[in-house]
Amino acid sequence: MLEPSISELTASELTAPDELAASEPSGSLHEAASSNQGHSISGTSLGVKAEVQIFLSTFLTIFLAEIGDKTQLAILLMSAESQSPWLVFLGAGLALIATSLCGVLLGKWLSTRVSPKVLDKSAGLLLLMISALLTWEFFQAN
Amino acid sequence: MDWHLLGLAFVTVFLSELGDKSQLAAIALGGSSKSVRAVFLGTAAALVTASFLGVMLGGASAQLLPIRWIKAIAAIGFFAMAIRLLWPSREQQLTQQDATCNELE
Repeated sequence: MLEPSISELTASELTAPDELAASEPSGSLHEAASSNQGHSISGTSLGVKAEVQIFLSTFLTIFLAEIGDKTQLAILLMSAESQSPWLVFLGAGLALIATSLCGVLLGKWLSTRVSPKVLDKSAGLLLLMISALLTWEFFQAN
Repeated sequence: MDWHLLGLAFVTVFLSELGDKSQLAAIALGGSSKSVRAVFLGTAAALVTASFLGVMLGGASAQLLPIRWIKAIAAIGFFAMAIRLLWPSREQQLTQQDATCNELE
């Protein structure tokens, strides 16, 4: 009994007053819109397993690449020199979260502009370049 | 709370990370991956953990960790991801087509 009244309420919020009489079609419209929204938030309908897999592969590669990097050394030096190392860590952590958010959003924005095929190829080349950079660092470090 | 120090740490790290390889990786993975949220969480968690480890170990991290070999492993990891994007397997192509079909619907 409660459910239809709720859906009517949310539908009435969305629709103009003169359309309220025809609450049945607007309700289904609202349902369709909300299911569409849920779709765009989670990307495509990915399972939790696939998302965890993406998370882990991203985490591992970036974590390994970032160990001993110049940013990490800068954070290390700053926290060692200052009286409050945790404050330095907090600032650095916020900055790292901000840069990764910028990067991911830029990538997402690019994906709406470029065709998936071109995007995959250029992303692949970019990752190849990072791999070459790391290989170079491997041979440079003694 | 020393806002000056906090701001200094933020700006220094933010500027040094702009255009760095981890951000390039975030752009590449964020654009090509199916889950932007998972890529963001993975990237942010990896960066924060790596810097946390740096702060904890301090100057000894260079001696304690075989940084050279860690870089080699990371290079292999990025190489594998690049290959997967450049030459997707048959199975991946099919799921990709599925995904684009779903989007069109």
